[in-house]
Amino acid sequence: MVKPMRRWLLPEAIEDLLPEEAWQVEILRRNLLDDFRRHGYELVAPPLLEYVESLLTGSGRDMDLRTFKLVDQISGRTMGIRADITPQVARIDAHLLNRPGVTRLCYCGSILHTLPAGLLASREPLQIGAEIYGHAGLEADIEVVRLLARTLQRGGLTASRIDLGHVGVFRALAAAAGIDAELEQDFFAALQTKDVPDLIELVAGIAEPLRSAFLALPQCCGGVDALHRARQFLPDLPEISSALDDLQRLAAALGELPLGFDLSDLRGYNYQNGIVFAAYCSNHPGAIAVGGRYDNVTKAFGRSRAATGFSLDLRELARLVERAARPAGVLAPHIGDDVALRQVVEALRERGEIVVEALPGHGEDWAESACDRRLVRHDGDWHIESSTKTIPLPRH
Amino acid sequence: MNGITIALSKGRIFEETLPLLAAAGIVPTENPEQSRKLIIGTNRPDVRVVIVRASDTPTYVQYGAADLGIAGKDVLIEHGGAGLYQPLDLKIAKCRMSVAVPVGFDYAAAVRSGARLRVATKYINTAREHFAAKGVHVDLIKLYGSMELAPLVGLADAIVDLVSSGNTLKANNLVAVEDIMPISSRLIVNQAALKMKRELLQPVIDAIAGAVK
Repeated sequence: MVKPMRRWLLPEAIEDLLPEEAWQVEILRRNLLDDFRRHGYELVAPPLLEYVESLLTGSGRDMDLRTFKLVDQISGRTMGIRADITPQVARIDAHLLNRPGVTRLCYCGSILHTLPAGLLASREPLQIGAEIYGHAGLEADIEVVRLLARTLQRGGLTASRIDLGHVGVFRALAAAAGIDAELEQDFFAALQTKDVPDLIELVAGIAEPLRSAFLALPQCCGGVDALHRARQFLPDLPEISSALDDLQRLAAALGELPLGFDLSDLRGYNYQNGIVFAAYCSNHPGAIAVGGRYDNVTKAFGRSRAATGFSLDLRELARLVERAARPAGVLAPHIGDDVALRQVVEALRERGEIVVEALPGHGEDWAESACDRRLVRHDGDWHIESSTKTIPLPRH
Repeated sequence: MNGITIALSKGRIFEETLPLLAAAGIVPTENPEQSRKLIIGTNRPDVRVVIVRASDTPTYVQYGAADLGIAGKDVLIEHGGAGLYQPLDLKIAKCRMSVAVPVGFDYAAAVRSGARLRVATKYINTAREHFAAKGVHVDLIKLYGSMELAPLVGLADAIVDLVSSGNTLKANNLVAVEDIMPISSRLIVNQAALKMKRELLQPVIDAIAGAVK
């Protein structure tokens, strides 16, 4: 027998944000978007759903499986609810804005995932991100990595670390070894989990020096020494040298950041083509933010554009940072038609105070309205009274 | 937690891991077979061992409740391995994942392509993947132990289970008819922990790697 539905029950990995959490997320959102704006990023708000063909452009099968789909009653075509805003923003840059030069865009919106993207992850992340289009040089990568570090810091993460990689290294090795697409997926899976035992089986048929090079990839992980190891153990292919040069230049340019390197991290390998990065922090089991270069995605939208950027889930970030103390308000008596009182209350609100007007019959409970002070009249003047002291307000 | 937490399961994995940990200079202060404690200290004040059920080890490490863990490949395949690094085959707790049937059962005829078979196992993902690759339809019956009983009482045609000596099969008049894969234990590492605590973890991983036979 099917049990009667408990009406308050939410689906798995779907949650409400209750008052304090919701403010926490909203304040973070405002802070971060304001900061993006100060860096010249324009805000775009793509739709919640669109045709799957454009949503899934250039993304892998995992993104396809992660996308909720439904049939459009008007066109009969399949629509998807976005599981990632990045391709939408790429579409806007390539097809709608159509600017020749550099375009910086940022966004913040809910996305939906059929399966949670990670442990403890919500199926409705609030994705916030920033992207630079139209500059293929490293300067753009440097800008977005620096902006990511700043974002995490402004978000309130005290200790974090950003690991850089470059999908070009693995691509060059795979091309040199003539690995077919199916085998490439197996390599990808083994490298992504640094599964050396599986990797040893996979490279069985591959000739030296490529064999050792594949096996060396998981070791190329750590500080700048990882790049030295890479130069030592990887073959001298032009793509590999240029990828390592890029990483070295990034390391030099971003010396003030807590950087690491990981050449076997191929996250987003399906659509990314250059520098990739992931940010980690303590108390979170996986990456908190990811990003990188994806120059080829926009080709499907009619215009090939250099592209790089990052995104993260604001809900996840909000969970990790210490919750700001809830600002307490001032409880005012019911105003009714007391014009003088109304002016006092308005003036306080102009100053940024939270002023809660007590409704008739509910005036006594400060705490319920989240107030730690109240407005009282002494000798015809209004005062703010806390439990310990009384502050007179200036006369109008 | 600033130090290192290692997730281990009692029994064979714990016993065979001790020499590897010793090579990394880590010696647990108690034996979980005698102690009922679930968190065990070591000679190093910054290293502790948590005792978990074998099939839970990947979960503890994945969530970052432990930084390192030692888990059988059988368990890792069922878990899926998401969010874990698996840098080392420790070559301990070795056995085979096999298909076994009652003596006299014509397995070769039963698994001709397109056939349907009833299989009892604890390893649902492994069994599903194995028979799908062979093109055989199976009805999987999830059991938590004593798989050998299932064919004897008519619950299933075949079982998928770990076989080490084969004595349990023999005692129950079963025979292993197909090897699925060799099994041994892997060192698993939480991804964020390796990034955030590399200075602490890498020497331990390297020392264990050096001690693997």
